Amino acid sequence: MTDLAISTPAVRQRGSEWQRIWNVVRLHFVNIGTTIAVPSMIMGLIFLANLAIWAIIRASLAPGDRTNFSEGMQWSGSTFYIFVYMLVVAVQAISATFPFALGLSTTRRDYYLGTAASFILLSAGYAVALTLLSLLEEATNGWGLGGRMFVTNYFSDGPVLERFFVFFAVMLFFFFVGSIFASVWMRWRAYGVIVLGVLLAALLLGAMLLIGVTGSWGAVGDWLVSNRALGVAWWSLLPTALSAVAGFFLLRRVTPRN
Amino acid sequence: MTRSPVIETEGLTRRFGDLTAVDDVTFSVQEHSIVGLLGRNGAGKTTVMQLLTGQDFATSGEIRIFGESPVENASVLSRLSFIKESQRYPEDFKPKHVFKAAPWFFEHWNEEFAQELIEEFRLPLNRRIKKLSRGQLSAVGVIVGLAARAPLTFFDEPYLGLDAVARQSFYDHLLADYARHPRTIVLSTHLIDEVSDLLEHVLVIDDGRIIIDQDAESLRGSVTTVAGPRHAVERFVEHREVLASDRLGGLATATLEALTPAERREAADAGLELGGVSLQQLIVRRTRAHASEFGAES
Amino acid sequence: MDEDRPIFVQIAEQIENDILSGALEEESQVPSTNEFAAFHRINPATAGKGVNLLVDAGVLYKRRGIGMFVAAGARERIASERRARFADEFVTPLVAEARKLGIGDAQLITLIRDHTTKASAAQPLAQTSATKRTHTQEKSK
Repeated sequence: MTDLAISTPAVRQRGSEWQRIWNVVRLHFVNIGTTIAVPSMIMGLIFLANLAIWAIIRASLAPGDRTNFSEGMQWSGSTFYIFVYMLVVAVQAISATFPFALGLSTTRRDYYLGTAASFILLSAGYAVALTLLSLLEEATNGWGLGGRMFVTNYFSDGPVLERFFVFFAVMLFFFFVGSIFASVWMRWRAYGVIVLGVLLAALLLGAMLLIGVTGSWGAVGDWLVSNRALGVAWWSLLPTALSAVAGFFLLRRVTPRN
Repeated sequence: MTRSPVIETEGLTRRFGDLTAVDDVTFSVQEHSIVGLLGRNGAGKTTVMQLLTGQDFATSGEIRIFGESPVENASVLSRLSFIKESQRYPEDFKPKHVFKAAPWFFEHWNEEFAQELIEEFRLPLNRRIKKLSRGQLSAVGVIVGLAARAPLTFFDEPYLGLDAVARQSFYDHLLADYARHPRTIVLSTHLIDEVSDLLEHVLVIDDGRIIIDQDAESLRGSVTTVAGPRHAVERFVEHREVLASDRLGGLATATLEALTPAERREAADAGLELGGVSLQQLIVRRTRAHASEFGAES
Repeated sequence: MDEDRPIFVQIAEQIENDILSGALEEESQVPSTNEFAAFHRINPATAGKGVNLLVDAGVLYKRRGIGMFVAAGARERIASERRARFADEFVTPLVAEARKLGIGDAQLITLIRDHTTKASAAQPLAQTSATKRTHTQEKSK
């Protein structure tokens, strides 16, 4: 009961639009279960599982083969699940708080801007954590087991700031693609999500087909290599921004359903 | 005392495909009053309130809340609160999270009052929302709605699952706090008898249309029942509009529009007993009469 | 509250009854409109209407910023008004009912005499207004 008494806010909503948007940000962090606790736990579990696997493999290898093992690990994709899971987090966060926020007399606009700000904060926070973990992984020589989870070739083996930015951009991308899915789910439910999924799959397949037909796979590879992860991360901001704008306009007409 | 309208609608209509949930509704609500929005389930009460609070979008027609459209209008929305029976809360929230966040959004939030209500409704603050009973969930909404002290407050069937004692406690707090901090309250319910004395004005909605828009006092006096021997009742109502009638053996009752003093004397002389009708009965009868009118048309 | 008559009229009547019974003395302050509303669980506007009815009748008067008071002579004024209506409201239905039941006029008068003796033996005269109050309530049911 005491924690309620001290929670009485010093600043009220009346003031500026910034205050209203900030209130939505606070709403997203009032209970960190969905946005922080669960994803961290999942990441922790994946990490523990990896540790166990590394230990088992290491124990079964002759000392001479261990270097090869460590090199092979540099292509591990364990963190990829964390990124994709952010799409789920975005959908969960929006579908849980949107009807509540509207019940607290928030406009959809303020809600979306506050939610977007929250996603940016979360992405930054996760990027910091992943960067630190990748540094720690290097410093401990793969957690003493020669394992690789947070440092992967191409993706996160650059300088510190570069790693941070790549993590950050990928997080943003999945959060805001998630915001499209969330808005579509809120507006048209399962039917809409299926249509959206099919649409995205068709888009992806079409692009691949186009690349295949024009024989441009080599060019794509060259582009990826020449831009490096950092350049690709910069480029990803474009589809991220487009997703953010699309999510906004989709959410603007959502009615909280019972 | 002249009061300015807080809510005004004109030709407000909401269609869902073929279904017209709200049908060309025009009414206004005066500042500082408790208004009952009454009607059967599915009559359109919730849709009207969702439109008034900018949660839903009108198909056609106009809404002005504090003189402006409520849709995506922060200056209007920040002055109203809408507590609905079907309100969804984030499932991993506990009531303490709700009461921590709510004050950020309501300028007139009173923490002391909130604490008092939390204790009175014996709400467990640390239990997950999805583990709360229906009544406890309703209590969360009721407390937010009362403690927010929003200048315009909507309660849509706010007490589902609350027992009679808790409901009475809600009414008492509503009245006392309303008296101390006058505001405009729209109360939607099907428990008409329980709230009828609290209301200053009554709006009755049926099939998406407003069929009664009247102050509660004059509405209450607008019908009379006559009861007595069947032949006497039948003779008395012969040239009058009968809203409802009932027979039991040789006895009969009939519900009529209000009678003049002369007519009352005439009824008494004919050996008939006159009686009043509760708001609930009155509305049941009016909506039935209304429905049968439509039945005859189609 | 019964459904026969407007609530504000009933509120006014109850205040009058309290003045008649002495529960509210002349020149004493009466509860505020909001207190009446909370006590009877009715809309404050309705309670206010009932109180205003008595202000207009000169039974209550307002003191700015302080509240509402019972006017001097209010009790006598209410009593005389009620006396004027007494025959119509109570005696006429009594006689009509007696006729219906075949109670003769002489028998009716005897009945009344018996009851008045019993009533004054049971309680001092000053409280007869309270007796009358229960009658009013019975009648309105």
